[in-house]
Amino acid sequence: MQSYILRRLFFLPIVFFALSLMIFSLQMLLTPIQRLSAYVSTISEMKGGREQIDHLIMKYGLDEPFITQYWLWVKGVLQGNLGWSETARGPVSEVLLNLFPATAELVVLAFIPSFLCAIWLGTRAGANHNKLVDHIIRFFTILGWSFPTFVFGLIMLMMFYGFLDWLPPGRLSQWAMTDVGSSDFIRYTGANLIDSLINWRWDIFFDSLRHMIAPVITLTYVNLANMTRLMRTSMLETLRQDYIRTARAKGLSRRVIENKHARRNAMLPVTTMAGMELANMMGGVVITETIFDYHGLGQFAATAAGSLDFPAVLGFALYFAVVLVLINLIVDLLYPFFDPRVVLK
Amino acid sequence: MKRYFTLVSAITFVVLAGVATAKIKNPETLVFLWTSNVTSLDPAYIGNTASTYSSLNVYSRLLDNDGSNISKFVPSLSSEVPSIANGLIKVLDGGAIQYTFPIRDGVFAHRVGIKGDDGSITWHLYDDLSETDRAKIEPGYGQITAEDARYSLMRAILQGESWMANAVTEMITSGIYTNIEKWAIGLTGAEKFENVDAAGLAATHAALAEKIRTEGENLIITLDSSFPATLGIMSLPFATSIIDREWAIEKGAWPDTAQTWLDHHKPKLEDNPLFKVENGSGPFMVEAWDQAEQRITLKRFDGYFRDPASLKRVVLRTVPEWTNRRLQLLAGDADFAATPPEFIEEMRASEGIKVESLAQVYGRSLFFGWPVVAEGNPAIGSGQLDGKGVPPDFFANLDVRKAFNYAQNYDILLEQIQQGRTVQLRGPTVAGLMGYRSDSPIYSYDPAKAEEHFRAAFEGQLWEVGFEMTAYYTEGSTEAASSLAVLQQSLARINPKFRLRVQALTRSAFREKTYGNSNPESPLSYMGWGPDYSDPGGPLGAASYFLASTGLVAGFSGDGYRELMREKFDPLLAKAWALNDPAVREPIYARLQEMSHEFATSQFMWEAATANVTRDWVHGYVHNKVLYGAWNFYNISKHE
Repeated sequence: MQSYILRRLFFLPIVFFALSLMIFSLQMLLTPIQRLSAYVSTISEMKGGREQIDHLIMKYGLDEPFITQYWLWVKGVLQGNLGWSETARGPVSEVLLNLFPATAELVVLAFIPSFLCAIWLGTRAGANHNKLVDHIIRFFTILGWSFPTFVFGLIMLMMFYGFLDWLPPGRLSQWAMTDVGSSDFIRYTGANLIDSLINWRWDIFFDSLRHMIAPVITLTYVNLANMTRLMRTSMLETLRQDYIRTARAKGLSRRVIENKHARRNAMLPVTTMAGMELANMMGGVVITETIFDYHGLGQFAATAAGSLDFPAVLGFALYFAVVLVLINLIVDLLYPFFDPRVVLK
Repeated sequence: MKRYFTLVSAITFVVLAGVATAKIKNPETLVFLWTSNVTSLDPAYIGNTASTYSSLNVYSRLLDNDGSNISKFVPSLSSEVPSIANGLIKVLDGGAIQYTFPIRDGVFAHRVGIKGDDGSITWHLYDDLSETDRAKIEPGYGQITAEDARYSLMRAILQGESWMANAVTEMITSGIYTNIEKWAIGLTGAEKFENVDAAGLAATHAALAEKIRTEGENLIITLDSSFPATLGIMSLPFATSIIDREWAIEKGAWPDTAQTWLDHHKPKLEDNPLFKVENGSGPFMVEAWDQAEQRITLKRFDGYFRDPASLKRVVLRTVPEWTNRRLQLLAGDADFAATPPEFIEEMRASEGIKVESLAQVYGRSLFFGWPVVAEGNPAIGSGQLDGKGVPPDFFANLDVRKAFNYAQNYDILLEQIQQGRTVQLRGPTVAGLMGYRSDSPIYSYDPAKAEEHFRAAFEGQLWEVGFEMTAYYTEGSTEAASSLAVLQQSLARINPKFRLRVQALTRSAFREKTYGNSNPESPLSYMGWGPDYSDPGGPLGAASYFLASTGLVAGFSGDGYRELMREKFDPLLAKAWALNDPAVREPIYARLQEMSHEFATSQFMWEAATANVTRDWVHGYVHNKVLYGAWNFYNISKHE
């Protein structure tokens, strides 16, 4: 098991090297003047004409050869420096660290219910094949599947904030932001829910929760559809297996067969997919974060990419590669738990 | 049934409660939602509109503009506005001009230093100190003095990073040197700045120190000759903002010595020690700057030398998504929301929302470039006058430029694209700037005259064979796309052989084809450039920007444009700049404005206009054109 984990982790730097080389090569297709976009936020900074542009190109080393620029960046990474993000006006590592808790908090809150609901709904739909329950669940999931996130998110926002003023966007209300920023409130994790509990500030906890409901519902519903459909299909297949027939012949109750014997096996493909979904979500839920003004990794990565902020894009790619490899590893390690026949070598 | 009605009534009540007009949610806090972000808190480092919001509100300058009047000044850290009448502007022997700024007494910065028993200085928020503690403030440590003003100006010039710092250099050297590096090269005769040795660097510092010095609590600035925009520059919030010298040095900024300035010259943003810290004396302090969440919180400075601001806090948050900004404004969670032009009328009709239309200090124009890059340039097609392209110097022909100006339908631009919000641009200067006259000549849509000029151009060959060329604009600008489409259709109507292609480019690609090059690729491009102070002359004035051979527009419009400016416009610009009397200068700038029409230097389309979209409980905004509408929060209050 230990060697398996080590072997999997060994791939991480290789994946990262290939990824960084690819992104770096892509950015070198642009001219130094084009790449300068990352360093100037407004046209007024370009006053001074060509002279100013040349100065900035030289200052940021944009005219250096590919190898030099890549080496400088790799050297920085090896020293723990992912570079400077002009988008966020801060070191990339610091920005990623600061935004990670926000995204993680949102993703975890959205992922757990969507995973559990998908298992339950998929099981019920599979077990009640072609019955009313199955039809309702299928309709519900197809609806979620066909809803683009931004449409569903905007509907949520318009309805529950624009119209009812119940679920505001952002991470906190203005008063709570002021309190959280004060010296009386100690930041432990950067996740508002956890920090407010540790600080024993229930008002901030509920305010934070109130801000998260709409994005969590949006994410849950949109992600639920995929996993539910897979669970249903997997359940249908499992229920046709011989060992299920044997169990029925032995006289086991339907509930025990479905919930104990069939569901556990049917969960295997869903677990793999859930791992991928989780990894994707941890990579930032761009649209949800943007619509709900939730400053997280997704919004940052999208803004950085749009501004050709390459240090930020590379830093984010590195982070995402790590997340992807680690979550896949965790999913693989969970396999034997669901299916004892699986042995990790 | 009864239960059903109760439920429906309850839901209706809740819904109506939600829809009801929002009340002031954060009475003492202004929540400002925009799409920009402050670049740096160091006022000497940057000079863009977004960063104005911190510099303007956190720091003080020697002078301020008198409200919206950008040509009139009022005292700030300087207790008087220098003038010849009050003796604070003197003409010295040899034509040198000396400005004296008497520094106001009793002004403190947000953080002040108190000496401990061991002799070390500890910094405290001025607002947190009791009267007893305030008496212990170490002289100069947080107390704004003439030395702080001298240090701030010298540091900005020596740092030499922003165009604004370089404008101050240009002012100090009376227009001779455009930045400190050129000054050092000029003084030492070195070929490149990198070749200037330690003695040369020290000599440059000494030359600067000679021009900016203190006498008691007066700051004395001596210019070799007249520089009429001096007071205008001194009232801008960038390189002229005053920082506390002792605090800055302790933070690692330039230690005010001749030998060390090169170490602090042009630092990278992240290497600048004052990048994310401040110690200004303005009405607000930076309470927090969350770079990851793109949120900056300003807190009222109760120790401000004038009465404290009405607002307790100002929160500037970057919210990229318009629907979100809109909903937060409508719900009353935000007090201001940056609004795309196409939604302004919709917002005007919304309850509880106030829309203030604001004229800008610049206009939108189509810029002609000639000659453009000839080899492999898709914008000019074949590069010949054969109907499949245009020659690289197509716009060198005055008839062509005039014809293009007559071919534009300005009525459509103003009435349909701008929806009547603004007026036609009359040249480089707009209303409020010297030289602007509301009756100066302008082009109007006249297809007959356009045809006349097209027939006259290239001895009739252009009319016979037609042309194909590409005009560029930055993607996302609907105004640009629309105005170019109007011109495109109009040209095709005048002569079907006139084919103008319109292409949107990414910001970076657009820059490369236009203002990123002294030898442009684009023969016709949509842009808007504005001056940086109210005076139309000097390096950053409106007239110079557009009409000087060394101006910003000439810089990217090609050698032909530069030559035209050199020959026709430079002599008048120089003449106006050498004079001090506004009454004598004004007719010259008015004439320059007329000449821009005569020579059809650009296609001047409309004066830019913007709008502040706020809750109706926000009061006190003072529009300053030269600050591009940046908010001075000191005057703002929130009440029904």
